Amino acid sequence: MDTRVISGSRAFSWKRFFMQWEWMLVLIFIAVNIMNMNLSEYYWSFDSLRDATMTFLDKAFIVLPMVLIIILGDIDISVASIVALSSVIMADLYNSGVPMPLAMLICLGVGLVCGFINGLLIVKFKELSSVIVTLATMIIYRGIAYILLEDQAAGKFPEWFSFLGWGYVGPVPFILIVFAVCAAVFIVLLHRTTFGRRVYAMGNNLTASRFSGIRVDRMKIIVFTLAGLMAAVTALFLTSRMGSTRPNVATGYELDVIAMVVLGGISTAGGKGRMIGAILAVFLIGFLRYGLGLVNVPAQVLLIILGLLLIVAVMLPKLKLSSLTRKPGR
Amino acid sequence: MEPYVLELKAITKIFPGVKALSDVMFQLAPGEIHALMGENGAGKSTFIKIITGVHSPTEGEMYVNGQKVQFQNPNDAKRLGIAAIYQHVTCYPDLSVTENIFMGHEKVQKGTRRIRWGEMHKEAQKLLDDLGAKFSPRTLMGSLSVAEQQIVEIAKALSTDAKIIIMDEPTAALTKRESEELYRITERLRDRGASIIFISHRFEDMYRLASKVTVFRDGKYIGSWQVNEIDNKDLIVAMVGREITQLFPKTEAKLGDEVLRTDGLGRTGYFADISFSLRRGEILGFTGLVGAGRTEVFQSLFGIEAYDRGNVFVKGEPVRIDNPQQAMKLGIGYLPEDRQKQGLVLDWEISRNITLSALDRFVSKGSLDTAKEEEEAVRLAQKMNVKAPSIYHLVSSLSGGNQQKVVFAKLLTADLDILILDEPTKGVDVGAKSAIYEIISTLAGQGYGVIMISSEMPEMIGMCDRVAVMREGRITAMLGKGEVTQENILQAAMESRSPSEALAGVAKS
Amino acid sequence: MAETKMAAKGLVNRPAEKQSLSAVVAKFRELGLLGFIIVLSLIVQLRNPSFLTLENMNDMITNTAILSILAVGMMLVIITRGIDLSIGATLALSGMIAALTVNAFPEVNPLIAILLGTAVGLVCGVVLGFLIAKMGILPIIATLGMMNVFRGLTFMASGGKWVSAHQMPVSFKAIATGSIFGINTLIVIAVVIYIVFYYFINHTRTGRQIYAVGSNPESAKISGIRNDRILWLVYSIMGGLSGLAGVLWVSKFASAQGDTAMGYELSVIAACVLGGVSIAGGSGKVSGVILGSILLGILNNALPLINVSPFWQTGIQGSIILIAVITNALVKRGVDRNNLMRRNI
Repeated sequence: MDTRVISGSRAFSWKRFFMQWEWMLVLIFIAVNIMNMNLSEYYWSFDSLRDATMTFLDKAFIVLPMVLIIILGDIDISVASIVALSSVIMADLYNSGVPMPLAMLICLGVGLVCGFINGLLIVKFKELSSVIVTLATMIIYRGIAYILLEDQAAGKFPEWFSFLGWGYVGPVPFILIVFAVCAAVFIVLLHRTTFGRRVYAMGNNLTASRFSGIRVDRMKIIVFTLAGLMAAVTALFLTSRMGSTRPNVATGYELDVIAMVVLGGISTAGGKGRMIGAILAVFLIGFLRYGLGLVNVPAQVLLIILGLLLIVAVMLPKLKLSSLTRKPGR
Repeated sequence: MEPYVLELKAITKIFPGVKALSDVMFQLAPGEIHALMGENGAGKSTFIKIITGVHSPTEGEMYVNGQKVQFQNPNDAKRLGIAAIYQHVTCYPDLSVTENIFMGHEKVQKGTRRIRWGEMHKEAQKLLDDLGAKFSPRTLMGSLSVAEQQIVEIAKALSTDAKIIIMDEPTAALTKRESEELYRITERLRDRGASIIFISHRFEDMYRLASKVTVFRDGKYIGSWQVNEIDNKDLIVAMVGREITQLFPKTEAKLGDEVLRTDGLGRTGYFADISFSLRRGEILGFTGLVGAGRTEVFQSLFGIEAYDRGNVFVKGEPVRIDNPQQAMKLGIGYLPEDRQKQGLVLDWEISRNITLSALDRFVSKGSLDTAKEEEEAVRLAQKMNVKAPSIYHLVSSLSGGNQQKVVFAKLLTADLDILILDEPTKGVDVGAKSAIYEIISTLAGQGYGVIMISSEMPEMIGMCDRVAVMREGRITAMLGKGEVTQENILQAAMESRSPSEALAGVAKS
Repeated sequence: MAETKMAAKGLVNRPAEKQSLSAVVAKFRELGLLGFIIVLSLIVQLRNPSFLTLENMNDMITNTAILSILAVGMMLVIITRGIDLSIGATLALSGMIAALTVNAFPEVNPLIAILLGTAVGLVCGVVLGFLIAKMGILPIIATLGMMNVFRGLTFMASGGKWVSAHQMPVSFKAIATGSIFGINTLIVIAVVIYIVFYYFINHTRTGRQIYAVGSNPESAKISGIRNDRILWLVYSIMGGLSGLAGVLWVSKFASAQGDTAMGYELSVIAACVLGGVSIAGGSGKVSGVILGSILLGILNNALPLINVSPFWQTGIQGSIILIAVITNALVKRGVDRNNLMRRNI
């Protein structure tokens, strides 16, 4: 039996430092880039890579709060519908004479409200999982978008609105700057604040968190509301890039987003993973898609690759874990 | 030589990080009722799960009727006529009583493999009648009370026509009259030729039923005796490891002002009319049978599940408590009954666990100051004498006693006046137990008002200034100094209400 | 003897049964659904007399037949506390492969086409079941991922093109339009499936084990049930039924496309929750699911008839799911509360 009395020093271990999932992602990322370079001579140039980031960063905004949700052990599959609904409402309002800045603000507000409703339902009806609640709201939000716009497209936004999706500040795409700021905020939120610590605690053991005086219901509502808000941010950039919107916009985004989060090493069992992993995964999947797109791999094949990637990403840590636990006595 | 129906030799079971059983032996003769005794955490539950094939032993051998056996899963054990009645009822709430009884050994038509519902319902009815139950076998399991579910569990064991029956704390939730009925059933089973392992930590059960007793302590085999060969005192020494009087370091604390008072607290379906008061420096015990509502009362008081009647006064002020944050703000701390599920984040380091409930104290400039946090964690861990290499050690790798000390340290991060300790020594080895008693005694001496909930009689007698005994959701006795004896506690905890009293209860609610 | 009786009373004292509204609702759910279906039909009929015509009824019932076949499978999945979002894609893939086969070999017996489609679906289900039961991947994640894989495979198999009516032999299209003993084949198949599954889940050990695993997985393990095998079986069955439904679908609509039945899984889930299958697992009845499917089928059919814009349908369907699961939850709470009130304190 261990009789030493506790002390407060931690030894630094190189092994622990390198045994992190994020290094694996970096390696895969490099591999993807080498592969892409061999596939297409147009891939490896500053302009090309810069433009690539612009094509996939829109959904990356949702990845940030989705990390929190999956660490909580929950899931939100309604995010793509929130993108569609807030985008459609914004376009609808603008076309009926509301000034664009106000319409954009309302777009964010719609996302916020949708997320809040998700959170509220999940907290008030604990016997329903977040799966079924967000499944229902996913259909409802998308349904409202259809009711508003039927099968029309809405657009003709003011000239300056396209800056969001297409503009540069110096040589850097505007969307990249905004994403960097948001990512920084979320990293601090998750890893440096009491809020983040509580999210991890809840994901590991919700009951114990409650007994420790954490306002678990309020925390959950906040996290889901954040997801709604960030989905609306995605809606802004996406709508700007496309120049118009339809009720079926962003279909399937929830899969991309969840795949990125899971590939980033965030465990679907909750409580584990880091923001940086998911951000790496955003770029990994983004560049992979971009490179394959350059050599005209059809969209259907991309769909299959993405689906398999999601499955493999959740399987990998399980395989590692089971080989670890088989060793007796750790 | 008489062959044993069941014999286990040198059984060791290791779970990741924990050695639950080490080199344990056990012998069960045909037609005997064999009591297996030990305190909480002695390894009894793991032991049963090995016999029933739920776990397989890391080392050791098992013989049934002299044949060496190795169980791959529970069906193997069942086939050899081994059945268990578990302490925590393991039922299917969405299925009928009949199905719960026959799950895993349904009666099927030869050839078509069709389930013979009619026959099963009929047989279930017969079993229930035998046990004196008055509900239909078609009732949904989820709508039964705990005592009723216990009967179904017994019926389940009977239905397999088992030759070896294991009963794990079957009396823990039963009143005296219900226990008597259970004794009769048990004896009838024995007379039919079954051998029974009866697990309990109540001496009364053992004396009434068993002819032989085996004692485990801290996962080790201590010894086996004929029941008439060993007296109460020696048995306690065997179970606890030393004499009771040496165990409790209770020092007299000066009683101060009243810190907590409740008046007619109630929650539908769980408890009613709970009134008591607590003073600084006092240790007030709450005891009673499992399911008597002790934990429910104090989880309500801590804001986990809201009470719906009555008033609470903290330091004389009337208050309303709806969630744990409010309770903690008012100075009420709660050490939960199930430390692994409710008290700790097992996959976390010691330091993070200690600071979890007081994170706001370690914020500077909007972010967590980990240096400050760890400093406090080290201070409290040392104060509680947690034994671990560092505060970065995972809590899951600690022993039960050290885990409990971490929960105590966590409790002390907040600014509290009232400590509610729910089964503070559950699943803790003997050495750590006395350390925890010392901590509790010291805390009372420092002026905390302490409420201690426990099922362990010696603890109540040795530690508490006063003891409240609960039965079926009500306080049935408040025993003051000098009245706290085993007899008084048992009397108040186990006597069933007379029919007229029960009727009065219905009329009231 | 008298003494035993007394003791029995002590063990089990049940005060007079008071029942709350929700307990009553729980008891008569099927009857209520049936009543609702009748009332709804009458209202629609009054608004638009073409509702209860033979032609429309036939169309509605054959649609409902496919929906209910899938709903029976989904019920098993939900009983084990799971969910399957991939069935629309599985349906499309197996329907497409069956259609391509009959296109290439028009003389193939339609029965072979049905078996082929079912087999394709079964393989999809087996793969899913493996991921969920053996690899321990959450059902939502596994089915979300495989949904895309199956959908992608469908596009690839067809090269992005449709297989349309004139490319299919008459014998294949006749699967959905033909009849056995004067009853439409689809309905016959659906009824056979109801009966088989009713028998399976109520009268076989494996069937009951599905409920046990959903009701309390821990207890199931102690009872010696192999939880992983049950899960695997359930998702395989779901896949097989989706495959069968795929062939029927393609035959009925006489067209196979890459986006066939996109999002249909949501209707299926809606039918289940409407029919009282508990999302928390452990309970659900074939009769409930059939009624749920019929109700949903009527709604889908009737809304256009009473001039509700088709664009409202998605929203209405989502609301139905949400309202149904919330109602189920509230009813359950009421029943629990009822049990608490019965306790004698």
